[in-house]
Amino acid sequence: MGYTIAEKILARAAGVPHAKAGDELMAKPDFVLAYDFPGYTDVYFKSMKEDFGIEKVAEPERFGIFIDHMVPAVTPKEEELHIGTRKWCEENNVPLFERRGIGHQVAAEVGYAVPGAFVVHFDGHISQLGTFGTLAIGMRRNVLEAFVRDHVSIRVPQTVRVNLSGELSPGVMARDVFHHLVRVMGPSSCRFQVLEVGGPAVAKLSTEGLQVITGLAMFTGAITAIVNPEGERLKYALERARKKLEPVYSDPDAEYSAVYDIDLTGLEPVVVVPPTPANTRNLSEYIGLEVHAGYLGSCASGRLEDLRIAAQILKGRQVKQGFMLNVIPTSQEIMAAAGREGLLSILAEAGAFVSSPSCDYCFGRIATMTDNQRAVSTGTLNVKGRMGSPDSEIYLCNAAAVAAAAIEGKIADPRKYL
Amino acid sequence: MELKNLRGRVAYIFDEEDFDVDQIVGVKNIKITDINELAAVAMKSYDPDFADKVQPGDLLVGGRNFGYGHPHYPPMRAMRHLGIAGVVAESFSPGYWRGEISMGFPQASCPGILGLVERWDEIEVDWKAGVVRNLTKGTELPIEPLSKADEQMLIAGGLVPYLKQTTPSRGANREH
Repeated sequence: MGYTIAEKILARAAGVPHAKAGDELMAKPDFVLAYDFPGYTDVYFKSMKEDFGIEKVAEPERFGIFIDHMVPAVTPKEEELHIGTRKWCEENNVPLFERRGIGHQVAAEVGYAVPGAFVVHFDGHISQLGTFGTLAIGMRRNVLEAFVRDHVSIRVPQTVRVNLSGELSPGVMARDVFHHLVRVMGPSSCRFQVLEVGGPAVAKLSTEGLQVITGLAMFTGAITAIVNPEGERLKYALERARKKLEPVYSDPDAEYSAVYDIDLTGLEPVVVVPPTPANTRNLSEYIGLEVHAGYLGSCASGRLEDLRIAAQILKGRQVKQGFMLNVIPTSQEIMAAAGREGLLSILAEAGAFVSSPSCDYCFGRIATMTDNQRAVSTGTLNVKGRMGSPDSEIYLCNAAAVAAAAIEGKIADPRKYL
Repeated sequence: MELKNLRGRVAYIFDEEDFDVDQIVGVKNIKITDINELAAVAMKSYDPDFADKVQPGDLLVGGRNFGYGHPHYPPMRAMRHLGIAGVVAESFSPGYWRGEISMGFPQASCPGILGLVERWDEIEVDWKAGVVRNLTKGTELPIEPLSKADEQMLIAGGLVPYLKQTTPSRGANREH
């Protein structure tokens, strides 16, 4: 029997010849990533010194810290947190990426998405580095382990393989593909496992689209997702890689706990209705539902293909009076590219509020909704209170559907504007 | 050292699949940090008298994929404060599982548990035997074994004591 890409990466990281699902190993992450957030990084930095007597990390090049939440700060306390983070990074000589964009995207841009690497973070959306053949796992609080010693304990996960085939129709995006997977496979189908995305349609999906699909893997129960890196993905990652590693690939006879064959032909745009990411429906069932706000951004959208389709829909049209459309490119690199393409001016002329990268729209820290408001959103999550009041509602959909809703002030089919 | 068995009454059964634990305190209360305040709002929409009925050592029972969504720590902090000693569920969502194990809060995965127990039955989680026993009804079901690291973390009482006991296992990140 062969090995999965996840088994191969963990075997190398643990320094053992082979690893199989179920093995309990101590594996050395190639990179340890985090964004500063109260109760997380501030606690780790303090605990390192006070509980473990560690003044400085031994291999600063293995770390990467992002300031992407609470950007810009709105209270002195938030700014104090950032000051503490800057100080720790400086003292430890650890790379800090501040105001460069949402860390999970920036991590790929600055070369942490090394094919074959093992990466840990506390936040599970880091799984999107899997687009480049990187095994990136969100450990929640347990990531402290990676700050206080060089190996972390891990049980080698099983892998669920999904083979995508067929073609996406116009107006149907990677975002729809992911939520369709949840609909077909179920929200616990990949519990504690790796979601490996493959099949003939993967070559046709954009790199940005795969970042969306792998980045949302947690809503299938997966601990991460991964793609065997090929083509433009591999090239992108190798050009930027911070570490030289040999890319690895699943063997043809690798052992999977389940295999799903999913044909994307005929897939329609979907909407994920509140209050859980398990509720995928066809967008067509919700046409006409009044919405008050729209968010195009987050680590699960807000990239060039999302901005392009929104600009295509909004070009020469206007956001409906009273509708609040926030368009937040995911990184500075993306924002600059969108500016060069003229997308930002189209969006601004249509009446969108276009602002610099920040995580804060996704969790209601800014653009906060009040009772009885309803948003269409490309953010990561639609649980109660995620974007403000517990009595507001979030309908997750693709970037095109957000743009179409902005024109009409209600959920609309984006395909009629394409 | 061995992990101590859990023994207590089933204080509540959340039979909903993909249960979002934030609902235990209500999303509008999720930012409360004072433990007494949190405990005062916990379970109000499920059983307003929960705090009066629950006893130290009691357990919660959950359905499939317990803890799905975007779980926060306050709900289970509140439950521990009220005396809840652990959760037994059909299965768990990984994010929730990691978070609570790191708090030293025992979780046992037991497919079939919803059919094994009724509210207020006395149950026992026997880690060594790998079963949950319904002491009221005289029935039992197997539990899924904990990973070694999870077991050690529970014995140690949470993430930091666990790491203190086991570091450096293969060399800490100290400057040499």
